[in-house]
Amino acid sequence: MNRKNENRNNIKFLTKSEIRLKILEILSKEPTTIPKLVKETKITYSSVSSNLIKLEDRQFVKRVDNNYHLKPITKMYLKSLMEFRNSINMIKDYNDFWDKHDLNQIDIESIKNINALKDSTLIETTPTDIYKTHNTIKKYMANSKSLKAILPYLHPEYPKLVENILKNGGYVELILPKSIFNETMSKINKNVKRTAIKEKRLKIYSSKNDLKIYLIIFDKTMSLGLFKNDNSFDQNRILISQHESSHKWAEELYEYMKMRRYND
Amino acid sequence: MTNIETKKELNNEFKDLKFILTSGMRTKLLLAIYERSKNLEELRTELKKPSATILHGLKDLEIKNLVKKVRKYYELTSNGYLLTTNMIKLIENWHAITKNEYFWNNHNLEDINEFELKNMYLLKDTEFIKATTSDFAMVFNKYIQLISNATELHMLLPIYSENHLKHIIDLLDSKKLEYVEIIASQTILKSIEQNEYFRENLIESKKVNMISTEKNLRIFLTYSKEFMALTLFFEDGHYDDSQMLIGKDKNALKWAQIIYSKYI
Repeated sequence: MNRKNENRNNIKFLTKSEIRLKILEILSKEPTTIPKLVKETKITYSSVSSNLIKLEDRQFVKRVDNNYHLKPITKMYLKSLMEFRNSINMIKDYNDFWDKHDLNQIDIESIKNINALKDSTLIETTPTDIYKTHNTIKKYMANSKSLKAILPYLHPEYPKLVENILKNGGYVELILPKSIFNETMSKINKNVKRTAIKEKRLKIYSSKNDLKIYLIIFDKTMSLGLFKNDNSFDQNRILISQHESSHKWAEELYEYMKMRRYND
Repeated sequence: MTNIETKKELNNEFKDLKFILTSGMRTKLLLAIYERSKNLEELRTELKKPSATILHGLKDLEIKNLVKKVRKYYELTSNGYLLTTNMIKLIENWHAITKNEYFWNNHNLEDINEFELKNMYLLKDTEFIKATTSDFAMVFNKYIQLISNATELHMLLPIYSENHLKHIIDLLDSKKLEYVEIIASQTILKSIEQNEYFRENLIESKKVNMISTEKNLRIFLTYSKEFMALTLFFEDGHYDDSQMLIGKDKNALKWAQIIYSKYI
């Protein structure tokens, strides 16, 4: 219990003052003297030095000659705090994407790691381009050599897109709800399907329960779509990214969903 | 006085972080309804605060679209859920760091990268051990005990230690250990190579894969399918064989793999 309180107090102590946070942020780059801190932050000398004394008292920083250093552990604390700040920004920057959407099927680890998606682009349909989300995906899918996807609903064009990737010798892995499994499969050319399965280039997993996320991973691109709280798929917004960290995030979520099928 | 512009800027930079973390009431409310929604009565009993205080806190969170009221019950919005999950990560990070404060504060952490530092919560269930004056070899013995049951080992090896290497050869001879991968600097690899016994039984062994890195490692990390073990260097550059962090859960293994994978 004491530990817990101490942690809470430390978090509070560090975040309570913007001045302290700013000083720590600068010190995390390199040890610095008070005059340099004053110059860089434009905070007054007295305020910088009184806050440094408080930080030193609580052993967050130490002074060697005239330079203030962060203790190794303070660096860790600060990284965690800034990571949390980035998560808050991630939520705010993509507010329309998350707000009033169903996140229940995304695993906790993926939620804890949403900062991995920070370089994503939010693509939204517009009144003059109501198929913008779908067409963006289609464009990427047409040129890709591999596809891993969680498809919660049947889009009439998907079987053909899948078929094309397979025809070109590509690799496809899908997770589909049982309800659309047969229909999707029946729309892919039989011979293409048979060859691909034999060559282990096509794997399809069916899920007993409904799926509430849309996730597509092709070559170096990933895209995520969500359901709204009213249970309808939000066709008007997707996140898309070609950044490595997003790709990795998507792969992990995909593997989690694959495992989850057995447990539901 | 620090001028108003500077203050405003600082205020903006850390505004959201402060909003959440400096109010005990707000963080407690978010955590209280994280698992399930609750009504005022339940919150009052749980938090032991008067209705007015609780309602005031809830109102603040509602304005920020983190909480909503549905038929007398307060629940997290999707944004609130994202934020609270990441706040829990922050708390867990903080806990994992504080738990082994002594270990982190006294060692060189330069080989623990940005990503791992932000995800210290993965180490929250690790165990810290420290040699005592009466049992000086305790850490080494514990290490040998850990590796003796492994079928495969991955190591970031920053030191040339005949003791460690001899034990590994013994384990390889006993047939239980099937595969060892060692990443080390060229200097360390050269030292191993110069010893005839090690050259024959490690470098030339089919079960051992030696990988050289340009980097001068400052971290001794080992993981198998069952455990991970971490020892570090003092800030003055000396290897510290008296303290070790041991993890046996999935998260700790994941943390170790992430560090290791950066060197392949």
